[in-house]
Amino acid sequence: MSTETAGGERESRRSGPLVRVTRWMENLSDTTYAYLLLLPVFVLLGSIAIYPLLRTFEMSLFAQTFTGLGEFVGPGNYVDLFTGNMDRYLPGQPTFLPQSYGVEGLVTSALTMTLLFAFVSVFFETIIGMGQALILDQDFYGRRWIRAAIIIPWAVPVVIQGMMFYLMFQPSIGFLTPPLADLGLLAPTNTLNDPASATFVIIVADIWKTSAFMALLILAGLQSIDRGLYDVAKVAGASKWQQFKHITFPLILPTIAVAVLFRSVAAMRVYGIIDIVSSCTVVPSLSCMVVESFFSGFNAAAGTIAFTTAAIIGLVVMSLILWQGEEAI
Amino acid sequence: MSNNHSDDDGQRSSVSRRRFVAASGASGVAATLAGCADLVGGGDGGSDGGDGGDGGDGTGTTTGDGGSDGTTTIQWGIGPTAVQTAGEEMKTALHEAGGLRDDIEIEWVPSASDTGEVRSNYNRILNADQSDPDIFQMDNGWVNIFIQRGLIQNLSETLPEDLLSDINENYFSGFTDTAREPSSGDLYGVPLFPDFPTMQYRKDLVEQAGYDPESENWATEPMTWEEWSHVVADVKDNADVEYGFTTQWDIYEGTACCTFNEVMSSWGGAYFGGRENLFGPVGERPITVDEPEVHNALNMMRKFVHDEEFDGTFADYAGNIAPTDILGWIEEPSRSPFAEGDAVFHRNWPYSLALTGRNPEETEDPALGEDLGAMPIPYAVPESEAAQPGTGGTTSALGGWHLTFNPNSENLDVIDEVVSAVMEPDFALELFRLQGWLPPRPELFNSDEARDVAPVGRYMETLQVAGENAMARPVTPVWSQESSNIAQAANNVVGQENSAEDAMASLATSLENIEQN
Repeated sequence: MSTETAGGERESRRSGPLVRVTRWMENLSDTTYAYLLLLPVFVLLGSIAIYPLLRTFEMSLFAQTFTGLGEFVGPGNYVDLFTGNMDRYLPGQPTFLPQSYGVEGLVTSALTMTLLFAFVSVFFETIIGMGQALILDQDFYGRRWIRAAIIIPWAVPVVIQGMMFYLMFQPSIGFLTPPLADLGLLAPTNTLNDPASATFVIIVADIWKTSAFMALLILAGLQSIDRGLYDVAKVAGASKWQQFKHITFPLILPTIAVAVLFRSVAAMRVYGIIDIVSSCTVVPSLSCMVVESFFSGFNAAAGTIAFTTAAIIGLVVMSLILWQGEEAI
Repeated sequence: MSNNHSDDDGQRSSVSRRRFVAASGASGVAATLAGCADLVGGGDGGSDGGDGGDGGDGTGTTTGDGGSDGTTTIQWGIGPTAVQTAGEEMKTALHEAGGLRDDIEIEWVPSASDTGEVRSNYNRILNADQSDPDIFQMDNGWVNIFIQRGLIQNLSETLPEDLLSDINENYFSGFTDTAREPSSGDLYGVPLFPDFPTMQYRKDLVEQAGYDPESENWATEPMTWEEWSHVVADVKDNADVEYGFTTQWDIYEGTACCTFNEVMSSWGGAYFGGRENLFGPVGERPITVDEPEVHNALNMMRKFVHDEEFDGTFADYAGNIAPTDILGWIEEPSRSPFAEGDAVFHRNWPYSLALTGRNPEETEDPALGEDLGAMPIPYAVPESEAAQPGTGGTTSALGGWHLTFNPNSENLDVIDEVVSAVMEPDFALELFRLQGWLPPRPELFNSDEARDVAPVGRYMETLQVAGENAMARPVTPVWSQESSNIAQAANNVVGQENSAEDAMASLATSLENIEQN
């Protein structure tokens, strides 16, 4: 009894900084309290994401020289990047904008190579992923196992994936180069140092790995379709193709749009697979150019390309969202 | 009642918030304590302290202050092949031959085997002001870039006068110059070893084919490429080997600085118009890659790989002696078939003589022992007929590595002692024996002691010829950009993706663009 009373009294009479803070916190409204709890996250994000981002942007506003940062030039570096004056800081022969519009010209320009890679790989991943999803959506014996098998490539780490494709096309022991070279798809020798061939190999590697991701997302869309619709369609005498065209496709289109959005953003940032299978000098993706110029100590050039890359990804995402409207979000 | 109720309510919510604060506070304190305990533990341990936390190569450096046993660990960034070959032996040699104090321990921090990757890695470490490794082994081809950017320690300011004057007076001056700031002459690196590549070959197969390297003086008399190509083809036809000639021609620094540079120089060509323009002035020197001698050099390599005729220019040469694999090879991949006995000729640095020349019975790695021969790299035109001044004749690229020091290191106080141990002639001889790294002092390089060091001592005559005909790469602040363009162009031509004329014309444009910055 007495202790309880004493405890209660002490509670209200206590003072000191900790008690004051606790009391202040107790009196916060729920919204303010929620923000208070989120504060550490904001601080963390601010220090590890936003500050470096701003600092990188600041660096991109200083002149690049071969020995370090020069004076403040404002947007000069961005102008240089689009007029070809920044190309000298890129590794090897790649340029930012294409020098010609043949295959060779397109794959040796960081900008067009990245767009080409993103478009071709996402296109095939969507087609193959949708095919896989349609098959997985059927009822058949052993479906669970097949599902797991299709997902395996997605679980392979990018380094292992890179080594697999590197070894398949490696000049001394690669077994896939001769048959594909006979078909005219690849250069018969020096395959992974040939820009067009190496780009081809990297696109195939990416399709192999990420089609499964597409299949998973599209499968989720397929399974949310009301099966009753197909019964109605059957009664109405619709063929399989008509069922697909009028029921399946329109209903999974928003899911496909989201999947394409995710994949495009990831494809535009491709780096790891290139570094392992070939090299950034041969297949110059935008991220590659950022990494290489940064590693060479060209911080202003790296910052400029990084922000330009982000802007280009932003543009692509915006146009995808406009294409599918609010359903995509 | 109602009063009570609301009190209860208030209490419940206050308890949950309070509990949250208490719980997070407690875990914060616990984490802090754990962190401190780890630090304290690391400090006491005395061996290699706190190895959690700073990923990658950062095994914390422990300076022995306070109650520990006072051992200082120096982290030394080094190539991975060297550590695998004789990492422990090198540590012993530093203490025994170099006289390094026992309370200074060396810890190897292996980097990459591709010199360009090492450069990127060290550039990243030093730009981030990281305090370890304390010592970096840097390629003489890019030390200059680190000096210009102010990333490494100026030794002229910190090293004792006797060590500095020893380097000034008793080291290969041309090689030491690549570790100096060109305008002030300040020293930023301690030369560890110069490197001169040679043409290495299977003596047994060559003799079986009826050649006599001893009496024909192969070790010191350079051959022409034409004569040499027939030897390769002939020996390859006579023996059961897969490759005639293995070398390095991948898109990497080594092709630009060295393999292509050697072939081009041996044809009388140069990147920037001869020797006097090697180190600048950038932007004012001529660009001489789009010249007939350079086209010929590249076409000769194409002849060797693809047996192309080029309208009869190379009709007198043997072709098809090198595999297309060279287009993807750097040093180690090209050395392994040779060491395994699958190639007749192989171009590589002296480290390859040390590894491949080991007695096969004494090592588990493939080796050739006494069957390994070496000769100077062949040439196409003599010096007197070279188009660019100072080129022509047999040419070996000047390679080699310096030791440079991290200005952020916490162990700068003991660096002098490490340097003094490294500079001991006996330690240099040990490195020569263990790794094939040539002594950086001409006096030692030409000594009988060096000749007696097995296995590389056997090839000392050839290495001297190579050293006398060394060609430095044109190192300037823009070289790393230029070299990646050069390597890609040279690789494309030999890979038949481009003609020598077209590739060199566009290379000249890119070099011009870089030089005019």
